[in-house]
Amino acid sequence: MSAQDSLYRRLLAWLLLPLLGLGALMLIQAYLGARDTADRAFDRLLEASSLAIAEQVKWQDEQLWLDLSPAALEMLATDAEERVFYALYNARGEFITGNANLPGLAMANGDEQALHYGNVTWNDQHLRLGIRETRLEGWSQRERFEVRVAHTREGRESLTLALFQGSLVRIAIMALLAACILVLTIRLALSPLTRLRRAIRERDPRTLAPLALNLPRELAELRETLNDLLARMRRVRANQERFIGDASHQLRTPLAGLSARAELALRQDDPALWREALQAMQATSASTARLAVQLLSMTRLNNPEASPELTPQDLNQVARTATLGALGACHREGIDLGVETSEEAILVPGVGWQLEECLANLIDNARRYGASQITVRVLANPPTLEVEDNGPGIPADLRLMVLRPFFRGQDSGEGSGLGLAIVDSIARAHHARLTLHEARQGSGLRVAIRFMGDRS
Amino acid sequence: MRLLLIEDDALLAETLADVLRLDNHQVTALADGDQARRALSQAGHGQDLILLDLNLPGCNGLDVLAALRQHDKETPVLILTARGAIEDRVRGLDLGADDYLAKPFALDELEARVRALLRRHTRSTALQVGNLDFDSLSQRFTLGGEPLNLPPREQRLLGCLMRHAGVPVDKARLAEEAFAGESMGDNAIEVYVHRLRRRLSGSGVELRTVRGLGYLLEST
Repeated sequence: MSAQDSLYRRLLAWLLLPLLGLGALMLIQAYLGARDTADRAFDRLLEASSLAIAEQVKWQDEQLWLDLSPAALEMLATDAEERVFYALYNARGEFITGNANLPGLAMANGDEQALHYGNVTWNDQHLRLGIRETRLEGWSQRERFEVRVAHTREGRESLTLALFQGSLVRIAIMALLAACILVLTIRLALSPLTRLRRAIRERDPRTLAPLALNLPRELAELRETLNDLLARMRRVRANQERFIGDASHQLRTPLAGLSARAELALRQDDPALWREALQAMQATSASTARLAVQLLSMTRLNNPEASPELTPQDLNQVARTATLGALGACHREGIDLGVETSEEAILVPGVGWQLEECLANLIDNARRYGASQITVRVLANPPTLEVEDNGPGIPADLRLMVLRPFFRGQDSGEGSGLGLAIVDSIARAHHARLTLHEARQGSGLRVAIRFMGDRS
Repeated sequence: MRLLLIEDDALLAETLADVLRLDNHQVTALADGDQARRALSQAGHGQDLILLDLNLPGCNGLDVLAALRQHDKETPVLILTARGAIEDRVRGLDLGADDYLAKPFALDELEARVRALLRRHTRSTALQVGNLDFDSLSQRFTLGGEPLNLPPREQRLLGCLMRHAGVPVDKARLAEEAFAGESMGDNAIEVYVHRLRRRLSGSGVELRTVRGLGYLLEST
């Protein structure tokens, strides 16, 4: 797993972020709840004190009278150091008595007995104000009056804080638990992936056996895809091993011949025999070296990993380059090598060096199998490369067989049996067809590579 | 000519050095990439041609080539390699090699390529193919030591073929390089080639026709 992008991290992030959001919502909710509770508790206190004050109101000297004992005033305060205010107003809204000139509230005409609450700012202090409208009971005069009580908010705030802190601890513990559970669950859910990774990492790099591992459905599909790939690789490797077996046999034989010839020559004293041996050895080593080169190109061509990009190639140019390359060897042997190109460029998507190697192999074959005249030809419709010789040719019934690796027509000991197989591989890679025909004139062989284009 | 051979296989290096010395070249042989790079990365290495293997101990042949080409674009380089595939040739030629020979190669082939490269890059005015000599300054030919007197057009044609000796030259190129400005029919060139061939017959220098590619002058 790379540090930048891991499934584990991704899952964790996507689950933890919403969880964090939820936690924040819960915190807000807890704070609002705590404040509400504190308000209700303190409002009840306000209510009780307003009632107590209202009961103390008397009718004396033709007016309202309140005599509040310090003990009663004490009752209004709580432990918190808040300041408590009260005031008595008559029905006309005139201040009768109290320790503060508390403001009134715009009240809807509601319940007689209920206390009306309001938050007011008075003399730069935030107050909770409760107003009770009532009238004298049990006196001859049933005068209406208002009791106003208020206190500062310290008590409420400290209670809110205390309540909120309690919820905070509970929420934190729950969040921690949830995070732990998440981490564990993700680990658990991803554990098959870890097992798969470990199983792949612990494999012997040489083994191509299928993976046998119990996995959940989603990963089982991945395992099957991997196993398909492994099966294809097994087939490729089997093919390669067969080829290597053939190849090592093909290389060992001429090497044994070389060594035997050298040994024999060393036992002899006649320089003429040495010369003969050296000539034989030179021919064999040259053809063995050529075989090694061809084996290499065969292996590379059959390598499914390497599929080079096809670019437009002018067949005329390919034919000229290949002919120039083979000119030296043909001249030394007195073979007339020529090329017949067409006037205009014939473009075919392909890999230049592969097409040149194709022609080089065909020219080489013709040269080795006794031609004295070889012609490389480019035809336009369909685009075709041809190599025609005046050698002995190949009987019609053998023409398919010679395309197989290591098959040799008339075994003259010269060829490697790979040349045509290489040409065939290259032709296939170019969507072209390799066909063998009789020469247009005489007995020779005419090999044609016809490009079908991508339509085929 | 001074040749630098960079090849790590002892048997091949020794054989090639011997062959080239028999052709009257001064040959210095190096077997190591780093050594070769040191020798070639400064001006004044004094070589006329470099034969370069690609698979070397130390740094590889392409690095040696790159180091050389940084300051010297002239000295011809012939790449020798066992890597074989033509696709490597492209890389080598892109880096500024002049020619490419895949192992295994015939010694004749190597000698022919060396001759062609030296001829193409020689700064002297004296050209030689077999026993045919041409001094491009005086425009005079000698064949086997005897002066060879030619009519002007044949002279220009042969001069052009000598500059490209070992490589086929097609009629279009001959018309352009040897008879620039003159309108020459294909037939006319064939006539001159025919005459030149008659003059050169039995001399050890041959003027051959390569079908589809042109005319090729080479020593037999």
